[in-house]
Amino acid sequence: MTKTNDIILRVENLQKSYDGKKAVDGISFEVKRGEIFGILGPNGAGKTTTLEMIETLREIDGGSATIDGIDVATNPYKIRSMIGVQPQTPGFQDKTKLTELIQMFAAAYGEKVNPKKFLDEVDLGDKADSFVESLSGGQKQRFSIVAALVHSPKVFFLDEPTTGLDPQARRNLWELIENVRDRGISVILTTHYMDEAEVLCDRIAIMDRGKIVELDTPKNLIQALLKRGFKKEQKVEQANLEDVFIDLTGKGLK
Amino acid sequence: MTLQQKLYTVWAFFTVNLKRLFRDKLALFFTFLFPLIFLFVFGGLNSGNNSVSFNVAIINESHAPFAKQFVKQLDKQKSLKVNKNITTFAAANEKMSRGELDATIELPESFGQSELFFRGPDTNFSYSGPAGQAIVHYTQNNQSAAQTLTTVLDAELQGINAKLVHSDKPFSVISKQNNQRSLSAFDYTFTGLLGFSILGAGIFGPVNIFPELKKMGILRRLHTTPLRVWQYFLSVMFGSAVSGLMSLGVMFVVAMLVFHLKVVGNYFQLGLFLAFGITMILGIGLAIGGWAKNERQAAPLANIVVFPMMFLSGTFFPRFLMPHWLQGITAYLPLSPVIDGARLIATEGKTLLDIGSQLGIIAAWMVIVYLIAFRVFRWE
Repeated sequence: MTKTNDIILRVENLQKSYDGKKAVDGISFEVKRGEIFGILGPNGAGKTTTLEMIETLREIDGGSATIDGIDVATNPYKIRSMIGVQPQTPGFQDKTKLTELIQMFAAAYGEKVNPKKFLDEVDLGDKADSFVESLSGGQKQRFSIVAALVHSPKVFFLDEPTTGLDPQARRNLWELIENVRDRGISVILTTHYMDEAEVLCDRIAIMDRGKIVELDTPKNLIQALLKRGFKKEQKVEQANLEDVFIDLTGKGLK
Repeated sequence: MTLQQKLYTVWAFFTVNLKRLFRDKLALFFTFLFPLIFLFVFGGLNSGNNSVSFNVAIINESHAPFAKQFVKQLDKQKSLKVNKNITTFAAANEKMSRGELDATIELPESFGQSELFFRGPDTNFSYSGPAGQAIVHYTQNNQSAAQTLTTVLDAELQGINAKLVHSDKPFSVISKQNNQRSLSAFDYTFTGLLGFSILGAGIFGPVNIFPELKKMGILRRLHTTPLRVWQYFLSVMFGSAVSGLMSLGVMFVVAMLVFHLKVVGNYFQLGLFLAFGITMILGIGLAIGGWAKNERQAAPLANIVVFPMMFLSGTFFPRFLMPHWLQGITAYLPLSPVIDGARLIATEGKTLLDIGSQLGIIAAWMVIVYLIAFRVFRWE
């Protein structure tokens, strides 16, 4: 059992129903400080609903969620100032400079910041005066991440952060997320990519039909499966197609 | 968060969004140019001179030099618009039947022939020189126009008579303009167009923008921050008041330069009053746009709310033209006191203290629409 103050997020018996159908069916889990926690599952498993309840965007029907000991349901505004949220599709108003958007996001938390410093962190310093609509998909994701971190939150939520990105941008984003974790911010993300979960997540929860069916480190989950006698057709190949792609087009961002 | 921090949030959103407005060509068009187009169209219809004028054709069948002279003189008359393309009765009748001509003036062949003379049997008055009788032809629907026209021609001929035959008239009448200013049709048109502009920016602005912001997930993202609805609304209110006043200011300047609008009221009070009106009308837009999940919900509701005000609040025609009972009801539509108040201050020189009833109705609507707007607002 982990010590209480090592836990940043505690979810107990969380429930949500839509029209009598249970979208989230009494799940419980804990996220430790400074870890990357992944929630995996097929579409409709309840991943996004779970995140939205913890993010105060959806009402909690039953059970509870606390962040750093503060109850989500009863202190939504306090919770919002402690979390950063990267939605599935980052939308920003057009004809607004990146610096102005950073300034606005900081202002939403009542803070004044130096936007340039934040943009430099994600290599967007030279785009400071550009409008967000001129950014590429990967640049937009990086910008979205830095915009969610202007107020130094304790927990950072990402909903399918790398969907639709090219391999270079994905790798770059993984690195970025690891950097965020190394700054002591706990990261909770959902993803459909198993390779992403395996590389990035310290622990993962696998959800199906509103319930958590398994929760452990990726390594332990794989070991457990093998112990049960699972065998895959052995292919001893030293590289896969993605390695070829990266070899041919380079690791650098385009 | 301290109150100061919360107000900084409002300020930051207000300034960034105002800068954004000036980068958005479409928004600029609808904010500044669109109202001006209406101003030129409706102002053009209503301005010119206020005097009545008649469209007439003159058919001159006389060859006398006097008749020619007389036609020239009529042409100079301000109250007559002589259509010179019409030279036959057939053409004139056709135009009259279509309502494009008010009347036709016929100068018969004998008009202005100087061999005529007149000697009354019971007077010792005698005259020899040009004489004759003009005839005004008109159709059923143009009786009053024809009567007025006959009077105009009669006066014209009296003037000529007086030159030809000296006589002393014991009674006469002249008209004299006093210095008191009265409202012109344009004063009503202009304040109506101000109202139309406020209606467009205040309601269709948010109704178009909010569903778009929701579709792109922008409001949803703001919802994950501690931003409060009142902070967001306040920043939009300031933005709308500033851009609205700039837009109305441009309309005032153009109206004064091009259409000779005379503003007699106090500019500061006028600005304050208009900002108050804009903010109230904006509340209606915030309620509709904030409630609607998408354009399909927003557009029909906005039209239902806007159309009654568009036609009954005095935007395109003044309310005093309505039947009395309808005036009484329409006075309570949200836009009516805004238009009336603007006219009372701008063109009649009233102060805020004089227009208490207008301010009261606006304030009451302000409370109602913002209560609704806060209650129904949705971030997504």
